[in-house]
Amino acid sequence: MRTSVFLRYAFLLAFACSPLLVCAQFQAPTQDELKMTADPKAPGADAVYLYYEEIDNDPLHYQSIYARIKVLTEKGKELATVELPYVRGDWKITDISGRTVHPDGSISTLTGKPEDLLSEKMGGLQVKRKVFTLPNVEVGSILEYRYQIRYDDNHFSSPQWEVQKAYFVHKEHYSFLPFEAFMAGAAAHGSDLYLTDERGRTVNTLIWWKLLPPGVDVKTDIAGHYIVDVTDVPAIPDEEWMPPIDSYLYRVLFYYKAAGNAGQFWLDEAKYWQKDVDHFAEPTKAIHAAVETLIAPSDSDLDKARKLYTAVQVLDNTDFSRTRSESEMKELKIKEAKRAEDTWSQKSGSSDDIALLYLAMLRAAGLTAYAMKVVDRSQREFDPGYLDFDQLSDTLVVLSAGGKETLLDPGEKMCPFGTVSWKHADVRGIRESPQGLSMGQTPAQSYPDNTIERTANLTLDEHGGITGSATIVMVGQEALTWRQTALENDMDEVKKRFDKELEGLVPEGVDAHVNHFLGIDQPDVNLIVMIDIKGSLGTSMSRRLLLPGFFFDTRAQVPFVRQEKRLEAVDMHYPDRVTDQVNYDLPPGMTVEGAPADNKIMWTGHAVYLVKSLSSPGRLSIANSEARGFDMATPDQYQDLRGFYQKVAAADQEQLVLTLTTAASK
Amino acid sequence: MGVPVPFRLRAVWALAVPSLFLAAPGPAAAGIFGHDSPPPQWGLDAAKTPVPGYAKDARAVILYDEYVDTVDDQGHAVERRRWVTRILAPQGRDDGFCTVSFDVDEKINYFHEWTIGADEKQFQAKDTDFADVGDPGLPQMLSTEKVRVVRPPAADPGATIICESEEVTAPYLQEGIWGIQDDIPVVFRAVEVDLPPGRPYSVAWHRHDPVAPAEVAPNHWRWEIKDTHALDLRDVRSSLDREALAARMSVEWGDAAVAGDDKQWRALGEWMTTLEAHRPDPTPDIAAKAQSLVTGAPDFYAKLKNITEYIQKNIQYFIVLRGIGGLQAHFAGDIYRNGYGDCKDKTTLLISMLQAVGIQAFYVPVDDRRGVVDPLAPSLFGNHMITAILIPPDVNDPRLMAVVKGGDGKRYLIFDPTNQRTPVGNLPSYEQGSYGLLAAGDASQVFELPVLPPDANGMERKGSFTLSADGALTGTVDTSRTGPEEADLRNFLKDTSETERRASLEKAVGRDLPGVVLDSFNVIEPADLDKPLELDYKVTVPQYAHTAGPLLLVRPRVVGDDALPFDDKPRTLPIDLEATGDWRDSFDITLPAGYAVDGTPDPVSVDVGFASYHSTVTATGNVLHYEREYVVKDVEIPPSKAADFRNLEGSILDDEKGAVVLKKD
Repeated sequence: MRTSVFLRYAFLLAFACSPLLVCAQFQAPTQDELKMTADPKAPGADAVYLYYEEIDNDPLHYQSIYARIKVLTEKGKELATVELPYVRGDWKITDISGRTVHPDGSISTLTGKPEDLLSEKMGGLQVKRKVFTLPNVEVGSILEYRYQIRYDDNHFSSPQWEVQKAYFVHKEHYSFLPFEAFMAGAAAHGSDLYLTDERGRTVNTLIWWKLLPPGVDVKTDIAGHYIVDVTDVPAIPDEEWMPPIDSYLYRVLFYYKAAGNAGQFWLDEAKYWQKDVDHFAEPTKAIHAAVETLIAPSDSDLDKARKLYTAVQVLDNTDFSRTRSESEMKELKIKEAKRAEDTWSQKSGSSDDIALLYLAMLRAAGLTAYAMKVVDRSQREFDPGYLDFDQLSDTLVVLSAGGKETLLDPGEKMCPFGTVSWKHADVRGIRESPQGLSMGQTPAQSYPDNTIERTANLTLDEHGGITGSATIVMVGQEALTWRQTALENDMDEVKKRFDKELEGLVPEGVDAHVNHFLGIDQPDVNLIVMIDIKGSLGTSMSRRLLLPGFFFDTRAQVPFVRQEKRLEAVDMHYPDRVTDQVNYDLPPGMTVEGAPADNKIMWTGHAVYLVKSLSSPGRLSIANSEARGFDMATPDQYQDLRGFYQKVAAADQEQLVLTLTTAASK
Repeated sequence: MGVPVPFRLRAVWALAVPSLFLAAPGPAAAGIFGHDSPPPQWGLDAAKTPVPGYAKDARAVILYDEYVDTVDDQGHAVERRRWVTRILAPQGRDDGFCTVSFDVDEKINYFHEWTIGADEKQFQAKDTDFADVGDPGLPQMLSTEKVRVVRPPAADPGATIICESEEVTAPYLQEGIWGIQDDIPVVFRAVEVDLPPGRPYSVAWHRHDPVAPAEVAPNHWRWEIKDTHALDLRDVRSSLDREALAARMSVEWGDAAVAGDDKQWRALGEWMTTLEAHRPDPTPDIAAKAQSLVTGAPDFYAKLKNITEYIQKNIQYFIVLRGIGGLQAHFAGDIYRNGYGDCKDKTTLLISMLQAVGIQAFYVPVDDRRGVVDPLAPSLFGNHMITAILIPPDVNDPRLMAVVKGGDGKRYLIFDPTNQRTPVGNLPSYEQGSYGLLAAGDASQVFELPVLPPDANGMERKGSFTLSADGALTGTVDTSRTGPEEADLRNFLKDTSETERRASLEKAVGRDLPGVVLDSFNVIEPADLDKPLELDYKVTVPQYAHTAGPLLLVRPRVVGDDALPFDDKPRTLPIDLEATGDWRDSFDITLPAGYAVDGTPDPVSVDVGFASYHSTVTATGNVLHYEREYVVKDVEIPPSKAADFRNLEGSILDDEKGAVVLKKD
């Protein structure tokens, strides 16, 4: 489905709307289509689109959609149920018709009335969906349906064509007829002075952004339509560890805009943003007063920045607690924060509010600081060709002190001073700077930024039973994740969740439970988890004891070990280093017959894995470490990545063999 | 899978915060939902309830929960609910979301919410704090059920949430079902049923001792339940579904308001029989199709097989829930013409086709979660519909395994047409040992669905492998499945693409064989559902055997895991064994030249009555042979057998981890 941009409509249509020709005719199937049992262009597919068509006519306020789908497997039959979401009031879905063409050419027509179901309703806003199921669907059927989306005369809509779909598409046709002044080939854009955007600016341009297969482009015809015809569009990929896939799919997005080109759009939007920032983050009298109580004149710039950072981090960040409703705010006689001083006085705000409060405080303290608006990389990639400022969702602060710039993430609760969440690392955005507004890029993280050190000290008995303890020391993203978990849950719950993680981290038969955390509420220190361990680790066999070579989680189950081919990039979010060590106190008479061999596996420039064992009478230590310096790998790097993880997985399966000496066994 | 019967437990899907709450709300105003008013006295009183010791570690606690159902002369009920929840921890905020579910035949008269904040400040929810959420359901589902949900103001730890609602309930239901046990503690809960003079009632309890009611007014009854601990199953291994384990009560005030469980079940069955009357009446098209399907069928089983497989394979599963449509099927003619339907519809079409060829069959409401339908707690509580087929006295076919003998001495074959791959004669494991209501007019009765013997289900897996001196393993695995195990795989094949099948198999095999390369796999799926399904695959594992100093370690159990989750904690709840069956593995591993066996795991032999497990490892020449058999004879065991269960599962786990030690000659 599509979303649309609504623009204020302030003129009367100069022409009469001719009755819409609603053509509910369906294409006659070819013999090849009827006989088709599999699709060589989409091997193993459950279904394929034979044809998909979307006709958008903004002057007449309608869209028309037509789909022809070939069902190839039992699973593909699920496509017989069609859901069409819409917002009630602004939109109507009408003229639904459909049929099932059977492999023998016979036809079952959709006769039942589509259900009109509620998805969500709040106040006057209702999100609904029309639902229908095509009859008598079987493997080999061709499903066909058409419907119209109509919107009223007070709305304009520019389409967003999502060309790539869940299933392979043989042929797609899209057509968009905008208002006359914006039609392809119109004498001059901007002639329509009555169409304004949400800022009241006269809309003068129709802009489109496209990501299309090679050789495919947006074309125009003499009647003023914008047209895309495309064939053989692959299905949306579905792989583990993909980057936000929506940013990579084929699509065409149209906009009615008040800007002539993308550069102008971003410049205009950035100016509006900066104006808002400057207004919100103005170091008012109240902010100055607050800052004076938090810092001392003798503090260094960095100390001032650090103290203010601590002060805003402890505020209630509603993105990690809850947002107050309108009625609650009314009852509390507080208003939506419009200035940083509101956030400070309420001791509460969203991540963005808190980031801008911090900016205001830095400025009040006489420090040089800039706002930066960035994308959240867990959700999307920033694309300057996509003319939507909302893709820049999060606010960071750039502190300029001591001759260098420090990027800060005050809105990310529990994020240590001087660091940012991985979601905000190595991303693009718009920032303020001494030279004015510009596009910017945040620094990438490196593996020392995110480390986990796991150490177990275990006493082993001659039957393979173990008792002991372990510590896990976390720095960086993993620590941030658990600290944020602790914000949203009490400590019992956090322990339970960590225990659940431990289940997958230690060998079967071993019980590991969190005893306590250290530093979970102190973002600037290492997060340490103290763990109690007991259970059965080894398999006893006459005079031998067999144990897994490595106590902690092995990398055998990472998906790359088994996934031969890769279509999309691998996104592992952030680089890191994980170091494990287990120290065994052996029972009397038990000696090491075989232990994991010292090993080093390299993916040059990207990752390294090390194993080291050390034994002495009555004691054995085994350590391994994986340092991963990359967070993204392209598909053409995949075989190298996979090769590395296959070798690591094999090494992780090494075993430990202990032998009871004859004397001891007596 | 099944069709939810309307009930008054909180709808779980409504607990997700509606996305509209995340949108900027409009101006707040008291309106149709709420009026500016202070919290009611009952709420203020309940809010003073101290949090008891047993609840102090909970995320939230229900301090007070009272239902009052007022029933009119026609048996229609209006239900008022008052409930008070204290949020104790940040993750308990969601427990403050009060909800009322409603459908097309129901109406919410009012719904109010007040909050007493942790700082004692009082709030009242306004229109903008309420939202209606439609049933998101399954991909193949059309449901008109909705939930009205309120986002309470100031819902922070320490806050007390007070809610009150009144709802006109569905007119076709003459029973109330109330959950007594939640996943948070409940300090006080009361249920009142106010009946017209002379109208009888009956009450039933599931997993709770009966509580005597007080007659607070003439024919107005009140049950009070205090201090109900939370049912927390998060860390309980091998557990039944929480709906089977949570205490509940039900009150009948219609025809089922009679003394005696059997009579109540009969009345419920008669009601269901009337509700579905004439729905299965065969149309000429149906009759003709049914006749064509049985033409030439040599016996009773063949007739059943032809008709059931037709429905299983040709009627698309699609749920339609619209008010009473949650209980009542469509007409057989419509189902046949559209080619789709839900469990009631599939049963209806099956009854219709069987009727057309002279075979009698009946509706059997059940729940696909074993233990939910309780023979000692008659009610319509359940989520699924299956079929009971009357077996003629002269038919004694061993292929008809899922047979129940009714109280009337008649034999019924239990069959689930919604499960598209379990053949007639067998029964999905998740339904075995459950209870169902035979809706057969005045012959209606509740009965236990059969637990089939181990040989009705299982898998035989044979593997032949070659091990290289560098530790690499190559070989083939051939599997043959029968019964529900086979149906599960057939359903999986039906529901997945080729790519997903390969990925799933790689993942499953990869759990046992990290780094495995799945060289090929092949499925032989006979069209007849009662023929075994074969899945064969070839694997290469680059480093299967592992060196440990001078030794080479080989795990003889190459693939497959039989162990169920278990732990050492004290057990008070039944243990779910999932399925009866017989699973056998036989693997041969040819060892590399130059290596000799220096140690093998001891044989395992455990028989605990409800299950047995035997395994051996032998070495003959350069071939290592591993063999095991796991037989399960019951689907569920009581907690008193937890020690046996642990012993069994621990033995299986040890056996599965066991390795053979090879040494160079």
